[in-house]
Amino acid sequence: MAVNQQIAPSLELLGLTKAFDGEKGGKTVSVLHPLTLKIEKGQFVSIIGPSGCGKTTLLKIIAGLENPSAGQIFIDGNKATHNKNRIGLVFQEYALFPWRTTLQNMEIGLEIQSVPKAKRRAAAMEYVRKFGLEGFEDSYPRQLSGGMQQRVAIARTLLTDPEVVLMDEPFGSLDSQTRNHMQAFLLDVWQSRKVSILFVTHNVDEAVFLSDRIIVFSKRPARITHEFVVPWPRPRDRTSLECNTLRREILETMADTGNLPQRRRGAEDERK
Amino acid sequence: MKIERYLVPLLLIVSWQGLSSLGIIGGNLLPSPVQIFLGFKDLLTVGMPPGQLLHNHCLYSLIRVALGFALAALLGIPLGLLIGWSGRIRIMVSPVIEMIRPIPPLAWIPIAILWFGIGMKSAAFIIFLGAFFPIVLNTISGALSINPIFFEAMRTLNATPADIFFKVVVPGSTPSIFVGLRIGVGIGWMTLVAAEFTGVKSGYGLGYMIMTARDIQRPDEIIAGMLVIGVIGLLINHVLKILEKKIIRWQ
Amino acid sequence: MPRPYSSSFLIKRRSQMKKLFIFLFITVVTGMSLGNVHAKAPIRIGYLQNDIHQLACWIAIEKGFYKKYGADVEVAGIFRAGPEEMSAFAAGALDMGYVGEAPATTAVANGVAQVTVMAQVNTEGSAIIVGKDNPEREVKDLIGKRITIPGHSTVQDFLLQKALRKFKVDPKKVSIIVLKPPEMIGALKTGQVDAFIAWEPYPAKAQTMGVGQVLLTSGEIWKDHPCCVLVADNRFLAERPEDVTAMVRAHVEATDFINAFPDEAVKIGVRYTGMDEKTVRLAMDNVKYTYVLSIEGEKEYVDFLSHLKYIKVPDVNAFTEKFINQETLQEITGK
Repeated sequence: MAVNQQIAPSLELLGLTKAFDGEKGGKTVSVLHPLTLKIEKGQFVSIIGPSGCGKTTLLKIIAGLENPSAGQIFIDGNKATHNKNRIGLVFQEYALFPWRTTLQNMEIGLEIQSVPKAKRRAAAMEYVRKFGLEGFEDSYPRQLSGGMQQRVAIARTLLTDPEVVLMDEPFGSLDSQTRNHMQAFLLDVWQSRKVSILFVTHNVDEAVFLSDRIIVFSKRPARITHEFVVPWPRPRDRTSLECNTLRREILETMADTGNLPQRRRGAEDERK
Repeated sequence: MKIERYLVPLLLIVSWQGLSSLGIIGGNLLPSPVQIFLGFKDLLTVGMPPGQLLHNHCLYSLIRVALGFALAALLGIPLGLLIGWSGRIRIMVSPVIEMIRPIPPLAWIPIAILWFGIGMKSAAFIIFLGAFFPIVLNTISGALSINPIFFEAMRTLNATPADIFFKVVVPGSTPSIFVGLRIGVGIGWMTLVAAEFTGVKSGYGLGYMIMTARDIQRPDEIIAGMLVIGVIGLLINHVLKILEKKIIRWQ
Repeated sequence: MPRPYSSSFLIKRRSQMKKLFIFLFITVVTGMSLGNVHAKAPIRIGYLQNDIHQLACWIAIEKGFYKKYGADVEVAGIFRAGPEEMSAFAAGALDMGYVGEAPATTAVANGVAQVTVMAQVNTEGSAIIVGKDNPEREVKDLIGKRITIPGHSTVQDFLLQKALRKFKVDPKKVSIIVLKPPEMIGALKTGQVDAFIAWEPYPAKAQTMGVGQVLLTSGEIWKDHPCCVLVADNRFLAERPEDVTAMVRAHVEATDFINAFPDEAVKIGVRYTGMDEKTVRLAMDNVKYTYVLSIEGEKEYVDFLSHLKYIKVPDVNAFTEKFINQETLQEITGK
């Protein structure tokens, strides 16, 4: 089989659905329509959709925090187990443990894997240097800015060597300047690590700037309404004609499927 | 300025002394500040009962409270963490706790003497009861109020239940645990006086000292003793606060 | 829309209300003070719980001696030990009371209560009880042991301290615990204490229950020592001396009654202590009921209490003079 050897996709979802029992035994509420999705190794894929459409639920299911009602998940060609998956999750609220310093937060994944202390420390220090956090090794999260905290969170995830990194609107809490910096930073990290990323966001501009593919979700129950491929090299110019055209296309797609309230043509989809 | 804080109490004491000196406030019912101060001096030098000095009373009382409190913390913190952590344990154990909690520690005195006799053990037991419930309840509350997102983060990091317990539940509960400890030691210290009424074998204890002052009809020493108890309670609280700041550097 | 009140109407209303309040206030205050003048308040007395020494009080109640001499008596407090009763005097809650001479002396000397001794109630009548199984033979055997007293500056505390010094035992070598008498027998039985000293009938009860035996009676510690006294609050003595005299008369008659009709006295003792007749008889055997005052005895109290540092009395004679009122008793008994 040496000739036909294919590289397994990082993440594959087959027919994934999720439904909740309605309140007081009423009608079941379907959150996700059967979803089939593939992310190849090293791809940067964004999911865009209206609030409450189920994007966060999808991430939670992939991360193993919730169970799907039906369907299968494959990570690096293997069936996902209950625990021990090589999945990382970066939260919008950073979720750094307040009682741990920067280094301790970064190391925790390795602690859980029983990596010896000296090795953990060395690995974490590398990220401190790479992510420009020198001088803050022993600081607590409350002493760090939002951007710094998110960098620590990303380091924490990357240190566990995941196959796929899931990101749930990770820059949503940041001001727009920090946000732009973090987007550039993320691209740097992604390009050097070549890890697969599944990135959920509200922000069309962000998706266009970052992604190889953009998947548009409908409102609840979520289904994939459209997929855009973004082949341009990076770093991309947000103000370029191509980016703007794509942005408009995406917005129109979302408006057409009733995902957005009516807007003036060309208006930017600012978050909140 | 610092002076303003002490202005009102100072004025109160001065007017109190004035009223006492004029005989408007009867000395047998409420001794004057000067009398109380002299009573304090007697407690230090003569002792109450005579021959038993104040510093020894303080020492024994502190030891009793320390024992009862240490026991309450050693049992209460792990129990609180487990109850806060496991819904199943919570369902099983909560009713028992809720039933015992409303019983005032002092009501336990006859049983305590029956079980432990007169002496250090029964007094420490009463103090244990006073301190235990605030510690457990605050620990539970601390564990329950941990942001669920931390549990989610741990699960994405493939943590085992033991990992989650020791790396999230325990550190996350620490601020509430300290609140429980401070409240617990406060109640334990307050319960002390009544606990020592039941009979101290060694003949030493601040509660016993006050009770004896009552027997020997020395209201000045009664109030001086009460003030000593109050000041020590304040100091204990202060020490715990300092300890808390040292241990919880992340808040 | 209701018609708003005119301002002149409101002013008239307000002044009417003011007049009404003033009228009510005056009526109430007058009524209260008049009320005091008309009805004479009953005499509020106190005594110690289950203290067979104070049998005369119960007899005076049961046999109507108080009524006989025109005293309207109300039992305002039954106390677990003498110092508590003296606190009640300090708070002005009692007019007269049966109480130990030691706590009374302490309270007066420390300026907390102002009472006067009007008559003796009994002498002797306490005992040091040790366990039945491991009986200590002499006071010296109490070294290193735990003894319980009803409270500091009670007569029993006094007697114990006297006994220790008399038999050359350093009080510091004995562990003294404070318990209320009802708890003492149980504590002895369960071995939590090695000995107790209390007023009768507790020593007698320990014996009849087979829990303890007598190490030393109080008569053996200090022969004929005065024990309980009948005191009157000084304010009450000043305001209603005729009531105090009536009380002393009743007390004298009740005391004579005990000595003349012991069997009936026992019956009343049984009723008030709740203990069986055997115990009460044994208890009463250890008590001498007399109303004769002992000045020397009181001076001994003052001296020893000062020695114990419970009180500070510069002039023993002056104090005793003021503390004991001999005139009323002499008037009644001619002694």
